[in-house]
Amino acid sequence: MDATIAERPSGAGSPPAIKPTRRRSLRSRIASCWLHLVLIPVGLLWISPLAWIVLTSLKTKIEVFDPEAGFLPAALNFANYPATLAVAPFGTYLINSILVTGSILIGQLITITLAAYAFARMEFPFKKILFTLFLLQVMFPIYAIFLTNFVTLHEFGLINTLPAMIVPFVASGYGTFMLRQSFRQVPAELSDAARLDGCGHLEILWHVFLPLVQPTLIAFTIISVVTHWNDYMWPLLVTNSDDVRTLPIGLGLLAKSDSGADWTRLMAGTTIVVSPLLLFFVIFQRRFIDSFMHTGVK
Amino acid sequence: MSQRFARARRKEALLAYAFLFPSFLFLATFTYWPIIRSFWFSLHDVVLGDPEIFWMGAENYMRVLDDALFWKVLANTAFYTLTTIPISILAALLLAVALDRKLRGMAIYRSAFFYPVMIPSVAAGMVWVFLYAPGYGPINAALGAIGLPHLDWLYDSDLALSAIVIMSAWKYSGYFMLILLAALKLVPSDLYEAARLDGVSGVQRLLHITIPLISPTLYFVVVIGILHSYQVFDYVYVMTQGGPADSTNVLTYYIYQNGFQYQDIGYASTVANTLLVFMLGLIGLVALTLGRRVHYLGEK
Repeated sequence: MDATIAERPSGAGSPPAIKPTRRRSLRSRIASCWLHLVLIPVGLLWISPLAWIVLTSLKTKIEVFDPEAGFLPAALNFANYPATLAVAPFGTYLINSILVTGSILIGQLITITLAAYAFARMEFPFKKILFTLFLLQVMFPIYAIFLTNFVTLHEFGLINTLPAMIVPFVASGYGTFMLRQSFRQVPAELSDAARLDGCGHLEILWHVFLPLVQPTLIAFTIISVVTHWNDYMWPLLVTNSDDVRTLPIGLGLLAKSDSGADWTRLMAGTTIVVSPLLLFFVIFQRRFIDSFMHTGVK
Repeated sequence: MSQRFARARRKEALLAYAFLFPSFLFLATFTYWPIIRSFWFSLHDVVLGDPEIFWMGAENYMRVLDDALFWKVLANTAFYTLTTIPISILAALLLAVALDRKLRGMAIYRSAFFYPVMIPSVAAGMVWVFLYAPGYGPINAALGAIGLPHLDWLYDSDLALSAIVIMSAWKYSGYFMLILLAALKLVPSDLYEAARLDGVSGVQRLLHITIPLISPTLYFVVVIGILHSYQVFDYVYVMTQGGPADSTNVLTYYIYQNGFQYQDIGYASTVANTLLVFMLGLIGLVALTLGRRVHYLGEK
């Protein structure tokens, strides 16, 4: 595992594209025509669930069940949005989602920076064993150990509080791993020079290492935010009142209370919940794509 | 001199432990302790909130062996993992190979295949319940339009789990595609050129050049796929609640049922332990089979 999971900081130090640009031959032009012919339908198929969410949210209740009604809404009907916002406290959910995701991220950035630096740049006994123990968390995430974690949080008296949704995620084996890879790529001369100037480890970490691994920090931030913003199982298990629920949980409740009948309102709710991240994605497309793209490249 | 050196080393080790401490504190509380506790609980009768637990020995494990539903749930979990991962990786590989060139509309294609990763699992699950709806769902409407019979999808115990597999492939292929695409970009194109001039066909080039060269990344994607398969809990919870007739009940959901609905924490822990062993076994198997065959570029 060690050898294959590796992260290359996007931007800095990426190897030059090896492919030479060649004059496009007739052959390749025909090939790309064929490709479009296949890719366009497949792409449309992939987008159709999203299109369905948005289109249904603009329909009337009757239209959804009418087999004669077309794919597009007869008239744009925005009434579902205020109706959805009125049945559940989406504002509270939004604030909770921001607080939970933000706290997890801040906690993670602190813990992984310190741990990754130790693993990448310091010598100490049991280093290998400890690193393996960190990776254990990647293999057994909350989905595998939610039951006994629930018991622990119950004993701490944290059930139905915001911290319950935060504390299990403050340490990140994956983040430590990712950042360690980047720290290892920082030239030793840089930290040696700082060393000679009398800087301690913390100063070197702060002034030399962190500025150099910014692309990795951004990539980790994006992955962490996407993951925890969308988290469903754990927040579902540890919350039971509206004042601590997050957006995905609120959406799930909406489905339950409507017993699946009112698809227009449900899809309006879905649009509200998915749009913040999708909006960020559209704006910072390159950053998002790069972050996810380079999580696997050696 | 050497004494001073030893002291400096000791000082560095202490500082390193201090750096590891915050992470370790949280890992110990929310990862190691729950795993240890899960084994301890499986040997006991445990009631939530009751500090007293009763020793049961291996009784819970005997119960698991006799539990027909457990074996069904285990088979469902294996089916889900062993279909979702190959299907999504195959789709991802084909898409990545198709997109690994200069192509008009590249950014649009990439986003179109990738966006499902960013949709919360609960939202994805709900939309697909709608898409699969037997009466008015668009999938059945589309099937009807091309003259195929309507299917009951999530209401058919033979189809429900496959329906969740299809949905998962839609959700994850784009992510795997991106990772594979990044690997393909590093394959030197003169290799393809040489093979093409030698008259090697496209399929053979894929099998004998592309796949071996990106095998470390493929292996990584398989591991990521296994880790993402945990998320099936969300889809089962939102889409089917394990039904119909437990045809979509998977290990994580069965743990939830036993622990939270029947309040039997001892037995739920026992099932949870089988999940840990299942995942460990799966990852171990992949590491021993695929991991061994991985080729590294530039290595003999």
